[in-house]
Amino acid sequence: MAYLTRRSVLRGSVALGATRVFGAPHIAKAAATTATVWFAQGFVQDEDVALRKAVADYEKASGNKIELSIIPFAPERQKIISAITSGVVPDMVDSNPNELLQLYAWQDKFVDVSDVVDTQRAQFSETALESAQAYNSVTKKRSFYGVPLRAAVAPCHIWRPLVEKAGLRLEDIPKTWDAYFDFFKKVQDNLRKQGERKVYGLGFQVTANGVDPYNLFSAFLIAYGGQDIVTKDGKLHLDDPKVRQAAIKATAYLGGAYRDGYVPPSAINWNDADDNNAFHAKLMVMDVDGTLSTEVAVKEKHPEWYYKDMVTHGIGYPNDNAGKPVPSIVGVTQGLIPKGAKNVTVAKEFLTYFIQPKVVGEFVELGLGRWLPVMPSLAKSPFWQNPKDPHLRGYIQQGLLGPTRSDYYVFNLAMAEVRSQHVWSLAMIDVAKEGVKPEGAIDKAFKRIEEIFAKYKVA
Amino acid sequence: MMDSASVVDVGRPVSRRPAISRSLRGGLKGGEYAWAVAFVVPYIAVFVTFVAYPVVYGLWMGSEISLYRELFADPIYQSTVVNTALYLALGVNVKMFLALLLSGFFMRPGWWMKVLLLIFVLPWAVPQISTFISIHWMLNGEWGFLNNALYTLFHVEGPYWLNDRWMALGAVIVSHIWKWTPFWTLILLAGRMAIPLEIRDSARVDGATGVRGFVHITFPLLANLYLICTLLSTIFLLGDFNAVTFVSGGGPANSTHVLATLGIRDAFEIANPRLGVAAVMSALPMVIPLVIVLMRKLRTAQVQI
Amino acid sequence: MSTITADARVSSRALSRAHSSVRRRRYLNNAGTVVLSVVLVVWSLAPIYNMVLISLEPEGDVFNDHIWPTVPSLESFWGVLTQGHWYLEHFWHQFANSFYIGTMVTFFALLFGSLTSFAIGRMRIRYGWLVSNAALLTYVIPASFLAIPFYRIMQNYGLADNPWSVIAALVAFATPYAIFVFQEYGRSIPIEVDESARIDGASPPQIYLRIYLPLMAPALVAVGTYALLLAWNEYLYQFLLLSSKASMTVPVALAQFISSDQSPWNYMMATAIIYALPPVAIYYAFRRRMTAGLTMGGVKG
Repeated sequence: MAYLTRRSVLRGSVALGATRVFGAPHIAKAAATTATVWFAQGFVQDEDVALRKAVADYEKASGNKIELSIIPFAPERQKIISAITSGVVPDMVDSNPNELLQLYAWQDKFVDVSDVVDTQRAQFSETALESAQAYNSVTKKRSFYGVPLRAAVAPCHIWRPLVEKAGLRLEDIPKTWDAYFDFFKKVQDNLRKQGERKVYGLGFQVTANGVDPYNLFSAFLIAYGGQDIVTKDGKLHLDDPKVRQAAIKATAYLGGAYRDGYVPPSAINWNDADDNNAFHAKLMVMDVDGTLSTEVAVKEKHPEWYYKDMVTHGIGYPNDNAGKPVPSIVGVTQGLIPKGAKNVTVAKEFLTYFIQPKVVGEFVELGLGRWLPVMPSLAKSPFWQNPKDPHLRGYIQQGLLGPTRSDYYVFNLAMAEVRSQHVWSLAMIDVAKEGVKPEGAIDKAFKRIEEIFAKYKVA
Repeated sequence: MMDSASVVDVGRPVSRRPAISRSLRGGLKGGEYAWAVAFVVPYIAVFVTFVAYPVVYGLWMGSEISLYRELFADPIYQSTVVNTALYLALGVNVKMFLALLLSGFFMRPGWWMKVLLLIFVLPWAVPQISTFISIHWMLNGEWGFLNNALYTLFHVEGPYWLNDRWMALGAVIVSHIWKWTPFWTLILLAGRMAIPLEIRDSARVDGATGVRGFVHITFPLLANLYLICTLLSTIFLLGDFNAVTFVSGGGPANSTHVLATLGIRDAFEIANPRLGVAAVMSALPMVIPLVIVLMRKLRTAQVQI
Repeated sequence: MSTITADARVSSRALSRAHSSVRRRRYLNNAGTVVLSVVLVVWSLAPIYNMVLISLEPEGDVFNDHIWPTVPSLESFWGVLTQGHWYLEHFWHQFANSFYIGTMVTFFALLFGSLTSFAIGRMRIRYGWLVSNAALLTYVIPASFLAIPFYRIMQNYGLADNPWSVIAALVAFATPYAIFVFQEYGRSIPIEVDESARIDGASPPQIYLRIYLPLMAPALVAVGTYALLLAWNEYLYQFLLLSSKASMTVPVALAQFISSDQSPWNYMMATAIIYALPPVAIYYAFRRRMTAGLTMGGVKG
């Protein structure tokens, strides 16, 4: 494997930045080689088409070849872990799941890509830059090990027809947190009065499966003021009374909604896709779920659902109970180059090409906007600001232009294990089904979180 | 030619006798020995090339003591072990017993039996991701097929099958039995067909049919095969995570995990493959005795009839 | 004279009673068979019926409240056969790969398994027990946890992205089991059969081909079906060891469906149903061989 010196790569990148065009003869002659790239499969075909187009354009511009493997999203993590553990790695891979960046950077398994990030540094959002960095326990320094490519947040998805059937209007939905979600309880009550036994108002994923419960709980935690549970220095603050209060309130609301019958009872053992199945079959009025995949998936077959019936906070994401905007957690997909890759040069070149605003902007737009760009300048494009589209403007407002923050595992890897062990889910289920008081559930959860954090020592 | 001394006497267990005449034991003559070696070489080559390294590597992966400390500190480890023990005990034994009974049932002649066997084989043939997910959906409390059927046909409101630890675990065990009984039935069916026709005929003439025939003729001859299958099935089941993953998801609240799913979670979600291997290897103390029994069984003298 | 007729009457009454009790037993027997058959059919088909229901759903919804198809649509089945969905773009190519891997694994597992058990169990090679015990080691650690080292050695052997890497791995997992079953099954076949053939001047390969294999027919069918289905439906190794589109198999394609938030479940179920049919057909075709052993069971010297 040939590691180019930092200077020669920088020189190349600067040349790229200046000309924006591959084709300078000395680059083309030097590196007519093949790189393997692994990337997660999209949820709609358009995403894959967009990716292939970007790859093809790069190949044409550079003369290099990219062996692209598009891998099903959920199993991809097994493949990446097998590759990195066994030492036989591709040249570039996307961070699926996102915390793989922090996890393996800690073990010095990635190539430092600060040079690549620097080519577009000014373009990236603060959150994107933050989540592309990780602490390397071998070099004992923080650096850029990922190149931000795209992002996602979790909007609320709502069926307008069910709301209207209950005799209410979505325009009347309150704008503060608790009242916002209470609205759906009222929808369910009204539907019950009409004899609809099987429809539920709140699609809270009160289950110990998948990543949705963690995202849901985190959103509530932040909304109730507990955002400093892990600060940017990686320190855990469970003794902070604000954090404890927020966690208790979140558990109380989410678990309580289940206990009071506003969440489908089977939710306690949903797998990753069950909430979407129920929402799709109109058995739930609302669902909190990452990205616009729910809407984008039906756009072609049921345009009326996309344009009219499915609503994603076109009415504005709820503010906290005091009326202040709540920052959304943004998950950023990074491009990673594993150490031991055979062709680091081409991998870096490809990434550099890919994050040019024009290229990456087209990539997310061709993917029907399921993913967000990580460069604020791209938000102004006619695609994202299209007045006729009911979802995109709100989505990009929530995920890029409005207040955002990185997920906690960016600061401390232990939070990723807290998520894998479903600590918050167990607290919610305690309240929802076991009759435990929120305080007790949180005591147990906090104890477990401390144990997990003790396993990861960060400088 | 079978002499009368070796015909089975109804009421007595099958007699054993030294397998091979002493002149053959301990040494095949020249050319035959070369053939015997040639016959085992292919598998040995496969083993050495493909199995030796991964197994040794796998054992190495699970060899660090600190892994087990971390494993035992996991709050769900104990319940996982209990689940695994139940899963193995019930899953294997109910399944094998059913397979034994059904293998006798499927010996019957008739075109209907052939069709039935084909239908019976379907659960095994259809990919398990699909069938287990289908079962997961069937068992959904509000909208699943099972409760719909119960309500439509019998006006009974079915329970929330997957919301309770024991019902969910039961569903997992039943799903496993559902999928794998056909397989073991086929193996035991083949075993039954190995019983020479004369024995069965003479037994019938002697009046040993039905239960008596089974107890005194069939089962002694199948016993070894049954035992080996039980032991192998236990070892296989230890590593099987599909039923739990797709039917109950390990839930509710992580209460139906088995060691295999815990291992998978540790290996691929917490990204600690060594911890994952440790999870399944923590069952070795139970697996090793099985392996030893199996090894001894495979070595015993040939049963002569 | 009267006693004879009295006896005759008594015995004829006893005979008819015996007949009716035999008839009753047969009737109960048949009734029992019918009941058991119905139970087996319902039991075996219930989850598959649910799959069929879902495959006929035009929206692919898995949650609903009907138990008969209300608006059946064959769109999903048609989509599988015509590769009409983007997940299924390469379905037939992947099917061909699955078929190739399946038949190769079956062939080699049966071949190596029967040769080895013949040498160990029939020819009684010295240290044969060592081989079967070593084979047992294959199962000490479950296959799913050996995936990572397998991935590595396949790369080292230059078999990356090559279907033979999967074939080798699956043969390595299936053969020990084949050896054990064949050995056990072979115990019921008297060794005199082999010996008399040897006396007649048969060489080991001839004994193997002409005597051993035909007698093992039922076991070959059973184990062969096992090996075929193992390779047919195995997912993890095929997923890890194969990367390029050209070498993918159907189980990996099926895994795509569990990935996304909003999967076309009707297509997934249709794919699974269609994909399950070939192994069942193959089993059915070979099933006749299983009964061959019935007549050859009592072999003459």
